Amino acid sequence: MTQTKNPGPQLGKVAATILLVLGSLVFILPVYTSLAMSLKTPSELARTAAWSWPTQPTFANYSEVLANPNVSFLRLFFNTALISTLATLGTAVSASLVAYAFAKVNFTGRDRLFMIVLSTMMLPAIVTMIPTYILFKELRWINTLLPLTVPAYFGGGAFNIFLLRQFFLGIPRELDEAAKIEGAGHWTIYSRVILPLSGSALATVSVFCFIYHWRDFMGPLIYLNDPQSQTLEIGLATYNSLRAEQWHLLMAGSIMVTIPLIVIFLLGQRYFVRGIAMTGLK
Amino acid sequence: MERMRSLVTGLVVLLFQFVLTLSPAHAEKELRLTVWDGDESLRVLREVIAEFEKEHPGVKVRLENVDYRYYFQRLLSQIAGNSAPDVAMLDPQNMQMFSKRGALLPLDPLVAETPAFKLDDYYRPIVEVFRWEEQLYVLPRDIAPIGLIYYNKRLFREAGLPEPDGNWTWDFNPRPELGTGCFTHVMKSLTKTGPDGKVKQWGFAPSWTGAFTDTVAFSLGARYVDDPANFDRMNFTDPRVVQAFDFVAKLSLKDRWMPSQTELSSVVQAAAVDLFISQRVAMYQCGIWDVPKIRSALKPGSPEFFDWDITLAPGYRDPQTGEVRRAAPTGGSGYAILSSTRHPKEAWELTQWMAGEPGMRAMARAGIAQPAMQRLARSEDWIPGPNTPEEQRYPASRIVTDEATQYVVFPPTAEYWTEVSGMVFSKTEPIYLGTATAKDSLALGQKIADQRLKTILKEEALPRFDWRIGGLLGAILLVAAVAWVFGPELRKPRTQVQRSENRAGLAFLMPWIIGTLLFTVGPMIFSFLISFSKWDIIQPASYRGMENYHEAIFSDPRFWTTVRVTLVYTVVSVPLGLIFALLLALLLNTKVKGMPIYRTMFYLPALASAIASALIWRKIFQPDGGLLNLMLFGANGQNDFFGLGRMLGVNGEPPNWLGNEKLALPALIIMSLWGVGGGMVILLAGLQSIPEFYYEAATLDGAGPWHRFRVVTLPLLSPSLFFTLITGVIGSFQVFTQSFVMTQGGPNDSTRFYMLHLYEQSFGSLRMGYASALAWLLFLVIFLATKFQWSLNKRVYYEGAS
Repeated sequence: MTQTKNPGPQLGKVAATILLVLGSLVFILPVYTSLAMSLKTPSELARTAAWSWPTQPTFANYSEVLANPNVSFLRLFFNTALISTLATLGTAVSASLVAYAFAKVNFTGRDRLFMIVLSTMMLPAIVTMIPTYILFKELRWINTLLPLTVPAYFGGGAFNIFLLRQFFLGIPRELDEAAKIEGAGHWTIYSRVILPLSGSALATVSVFCFIYHWRDFMGPLIYLNDPQSQTLEIGLATYNSLRAEQWHLLMAGSIMVTIPLIVIFLLGQRYFVRGIAMTGLK
Repeated sequence: MERMRSLVTGLVVLLFQFVLTLSPAHAEKELRLTVWDGDESLRVLREVIAEFEKEHPGVKVRLENVDYRYYFQRLLSQIAGNSAPDVAMLDPQNMQMFSKRGALLPLDPLVAETPAFKLDDYYRPIVEVFRWEEQLYVLPRDIAPIGLIYYNKRLFREAGLPEPDGNWTWDFNPRPELGTGCFTHVMKSLTKTGPDGKVKQWGFAPSWTGAFTDTVAFSLGARYVDDPANFDRMNFTDPRVVQAFDFVAKLSLKDRWMPSQTELSSVVQAAAVDLFISQRVAMYQCGIWDVPKIRSALKPGSPEFFDWDITLAPGYRDPQTGEVRRAAPTGGSGYAILSSTRHPKEAWELTQWMAGEPGMRAMARAGIAQPAMQRLARSEDWIPGPNTPEEQRYPASRIVTDEATQYVVFPPTAEYWTEVSGMVFSKTEPIYLGTATAKDSLALGQKIADQRLKTILKEEALPRFDWRIGGLLGAILLVAAVAWVFGPELRKPRTQVQRSENRAGLAFLMPWIIGTLLFTVGPMIFSFLISFSKWDIIQPASYRGMENYHEAIFSDPRFWTTVRVTLVYTVVSVPLGLIFALLLALLLNTKVKGMPIYRTMFYLPALASAIASALIWRKIFQPDGGLLNLMLFGANGQNDFFGLGRMLGVNGEPPNWLGNEKLALPALIIMSLWGVGGGMVILLAGLQSIPEFYYEAATLDGAGPWHRFRVVTLPLLSPSLFFTLITGVIGSFQVFTQSFVMTQGGPNDSTRFYMLHLYEQSFGSLRMGYASALAWLLFLVIFLATKFQWSLNKRVYYEGAS
């Protein structure tokens, strides 16, 4: 091969960088605005445009949110982290098992049963809310973390099952066929072949699941009564009360709520990138 | 090994939680009090409760706070689950749905047993509004007339006007000879227009245009209904109502003394107070609850401070009799005792405390709520006196709040008012935009609402729902589902291999089977059964047969509107979102330095707190100074971004995105594109898992970038694309939050999604049976749509399919 330099990729890279920078600016806008608003005093907030950078940035709103006895931020932070972690753990384990069955086990009625799995996403939660509440009440689970975490250990939700199924189906069939010929059962194929190759899929599901539970509003709202056992998103709503909005505190709070998710995403990303392509498949 | 260890840890923690749940209840009597207050009120309530606990040893009070928007949904779920709080905050509009169904304890017997308690201390109108069929159910804690005008003293001085004393009237045309006595004249005099014809300073702004119209209509003597607690017709076609709407529209659209709906978006409720604080409006109408906000923004001594006060809203002078009639649309709240309480005596003690002197005094001192007791509303706790600290002096004339209570007009308490009036008000939005006349819009709205009212009021003699038959039906449904899944394959030969596959399948599916049977199937069947019933959540259900389905399809005036809006949203936003997500994923899959940072930035909107984002989006779509309009029209409003400005502008003016019938839905779709982060990440992960050697092989075969994309990327990405499409369609049929937080379905129903209608029917109008029917109709549509898309599955390329 000749060593002539192809200008194509270089040019493409420049174009991509320009698009990335412009796109980032657009996508960062809502969070930038939150940040700018959170660093303003209430009077500056009322007088200036939302996206102007504060003349004298102040962290007073942040310390007020952290010190507010009505919404004990650290306590809520701990609750939210616990719920999100437990639920994510359960989802990763149980959804991968179920997804494996739908992707790699050839049982009777598989495809129709999968439609049933999907159909659990199709009925609006509003009309099942009360019977579900009554159920948890009968189990004496109200005001505990159980309604928000235990179901994750039993299937992990249709969305996650579906997502993992799609990824598992993308894993070349030759691999599990080869294992089968060597006498491996489904459990071995699942744990030795499929799981090690699904790092990126599991990371995606886990990050999604964590973010979902971290930002969940309806679940904690309905199942948790005690202000001490609430989650961050519910705590934030206190600053958005009808007729008594406190935007400066709401924005400061929301920035603090978002930071852990940014960290999780930055960390989790390493694993999305390390897909099958890099696990030495060739 | 790592995975196992974390799994075990998780299970141990769960077990621990379990044990905690089963620990015995506290020996003390615990009362639960639930409210919808903001942060500042909560501080006060906490102190008041601490005093109560000190006075009543052995009683603990747990204060639970829920935002008003979700308050009733939660309370109703708790009542249905038999775990309601002991004492709950209620307001006039929402009292009847509980009192009528026996969920509240009548208070009169308790009042009679308590000689020290005097009901006569309370303002009469608010006590009367909390009665239902002669019985008192809610003890008022505050009264909140929207009958006040906040005014900027400095701007009055600059305009050479004497300060208003409340003795003013609105005349339909300014009468300069009356001076400050004529509100329209004052409005006109305080409006300043720049040389470019743009208004620099408005004379007046309402907090809610609707409340201002109510004030005018009521002071003309009109009332929307005759019997507020139990009406069977509405008076929106009353000429005085039409006159009020015309007047308000004229002030903003023709006279330009008041910001129009376009300038003062009805959804940005804080807009009027912000305009006031920044001195862009000289007067505005509101209730007393804006005081803490203004106080904190205008600290005496600070550079932004100006002198301000409140006064009574104007009345209407009858040209014939010369008599002045005033009216103030009014809210208020109080505490009710749930009939399910196990400690009625203590709950009554708490109610008296919170909605009595201790509670009201503390709220008054903080300047948060006007006491419902006249004695307190006239005391120094509420009216500033010589001992009042400097920062609590404002506003000085708080005594007018007492006078305002003479003119209060409460909203109708009939439980169906919210629903039917909402139908009228969604049709009146075009009046404020100048796109329809008041007469036509009101007539149209009343016609639609009357039809609904007739359905609601129709007496139905329905038998009690028979749960045995219901259970049977549920079992049949379950059997049918199982038969549908396994029936077609029963005839397959049951080979050794097949049997072992079935056993393995069962084992792997076990978590899902258990979870579904435990948590999902029951509630789903329940909602299916209830869709054949009339169920108000609080009382037992009665059997209504196919009537719910019939009503939805043939007589619900909102059904087809919401179907149309939802379909348009789905058809536009799903493909758009999919393409957008794919393009972003391809972009983020390039090999450029700093990629993790870029990816995070693109994903940020999906990470940000939903509550904060909704607020910011409202700001972005704001007509005046909103970021989108700034981009399209520039700061001077004259620019024209690639011709888009002229295309989207309304009469050359920057549009109010969320307040414009044609633009509100597109605005919500634009917003949804910011949230494509989820799809983008899935597609990105899909791209990442395409082995590099496929590309290399294709390149060696001489394929260009487009060909590589078609031959390698698309087929190998198709499982992820398929997933994104299916879940996208399922999600967008159920789109709800955007319109619930941003537009409440308006303007003119242009963003009224199916789910919003379903939600309002379920927890708003307490028609859970009907809402379930709506839900199952939606289920059917989504199921069919998914089945249809599933037929595309054949085209999806699965490398590992067997």
